[in-house]
Amino acid sequence: MDTITKEQRKAALDLMKANLASDSKFQTHLNACVRCGLCATSCMYYIAFKDPKYIPGRKVNLVSSIYRRYFTPEGKYFPSLFNARNLDAEMAEEMVDCLFGGCTMCGRCVKHCSIGVDVSYIVKKGREMLAVMGLVPKTLQATVDAAINTGNNMAIPTEEFVDTIKWMEEELQDEMGDPKANIPLDETNRHIIYTLNPREPKFFPLSISAMAKVFYAAGESWTLSSKYYDVTNYGFFNGNNEEAAKIAGYLYDETHRLKADKLVLGECGHGSRASRWEGPNLLKKAYDFEMTTALELMAEYIRTGRIKVDKTKNQTLCTLHDPCNLVRNGGLLEEMRFVVKSCVANFVEMTPHGNDNFCCGGGGGQLAMSEYNERRLKIGGIKADQIKATGAKIVITPCHNCVDQLMQINHTYKLGVTIKTVAEIVADALVLPDPASPHDNPADTAAETVADPLHTDSNSSK
Amino acid sequence: MDIKDFEVDGDGFLTKPELWNEEVAKMFAKSDGIEEMTPKHWAVVNIIRKNFEEKGNAPMVRTICQETGLKLREIYELFPLGPARGACRVAGLPKPDGCV
Repeated sequence: MDTITKEQRKAALDLMKANLASDSKFQTHLNACVRCGLCATSCMYYIAFKDPKYIPGRKVNLVSSIYRRYFTPEGKYFPSLFNARNLDAEMAEEMVDCLFGGCTMCGRCVKHCSIGVDVSYIVKKGREMLAVMGLVPKTLQATVDAAINTGNNMAIPTEEFVDTIKWMEEELQDEMGDPKANIPLDETNRHIIYTLNPREPKFFPLSISAMAKVFYAAGESWTLSSKYYDVTNYGFFNGNNEEAAKIAGYLYDETHRLKADKLVLGECGHGSRASRWEGPNLLKKAYDFEMTTALELMAEYIRTGRIKVDKTKNQTLCTLHDPCNLVRNGGLLEEMRFVVKSCVANFVEMTPHGNDNFCCGGGGGQLAMSEYNERRLKIGGIKADQIKATGAKIVITPCHNCVDQLMQINHTYKLGVTIKTVAEIVADALVLPDPASPHDNPADTAAETVADPLHTDSNSSK
Repeated sequence: MDIKDFEVDGDGFLTKPELWNEEVAKMFAKSDGIEEMTPKHWAVVNIIRKNFEEKGNAPMVRTICQETGLKLREIYELFPLGPARGACRVAGLPKPDGCV
């Protein structure tokens, strides 16, 4: 980058000013780092490259040095004494390199920070400044543009999507031996509207039929939309909140249009977070319908006995990869293990796992950014070592973004494992009801039956 | 001829898809651990190439299955990195957007 224009600088500083005024958290966290350095060894990039530029505190410092230079008197008049820096071309280049290209926003450093600086939040604020300067890496922006313009991030035409769903429906009918087994499209007044990652219909549709099989077994009333089914929201990563809000709005509006009671977020870490936790902030309104993840829904089906699973059907040794946005940043640590351990006979944890787990290396939009592919595969080596140490032959993860990164790690580091979504593992363990009496009182067989408000309508609209 | 003679993006996808030919496909396949391009490999690659030339993007895996008569699982076996990072790259397409 040779230069940045006055307009670019002004746009970024105006945004910083507005963010400082509207969110006291921003100013607090910009001022909070005490430079203890504990975050360094929590970061996959620093562990893999040993380059100080990747230390999370240094990433925070990029943003906070601009804050000091332009928004504090001491930084304005004595910049070198107070570690204040101009927002110039060199600075912008470092920010792009470290905030876009050197962070998966996994939040592992936040957990290790001695005073709890929300590093990924500051990184996001830095990305927002780069976005108003027009400096989003182009492959990441292309993914957002596709979602905005077509309703899904792979720009799949509706007709081709529908063909694929019909194809999966035929496969499901064959497998179930039931011509009534279906994958409903654009049905109104169903209990659930389900969502997908576009890579499923485009290239990996078996996870769609797996979830359809689970819905079939549960006797669920559900539908897919043929137009707005994309659970991802790369606007959460490119730093453009207006675009993120527009994408989140697609699912909000479609849930209303189809008059569904509940939006079920498909297996996608950042997409779940972008809708469920960030959605109200983006849309500036509360959701007026229920929302849950496919993972929690399957947990509920198992817990209430609405589906029956037999773990002896999955004998191969399995391990679990915790997606950052569902576990450390999403709270589903126990729920995920409940589902997986109900469905596999042999399970081993990675070290570390759960809230301290390492990112797959593909988070934060990294998977969409070809510019930083080499770094992504190098930090993925940490995950490869973790997987290897378990001796597991199947790696389960409830996030399609993680699935893709793990597939590439599997190939690059010759791990010889299979990567599966949770729905695929649940589908493999399903004990299907007798076709003659599909859903006869499943609650009787539940070990720990809890009240299930959904069960009453389980047969209503098949 | 070597892969290094071609300009590729960070993910190893051909930057100029028009430079693609069968030799390029064989080289990319080999770098992915596919020692020999069998007729099944070629069938997949040719469909992807045809779709790209006609529509400017990668086909749905459904189209690949339909046109080649191959089963889904066969395609995953033929290209261990999957239809996108595996087959589309061998077919000389740019990297598809999204989580692939």
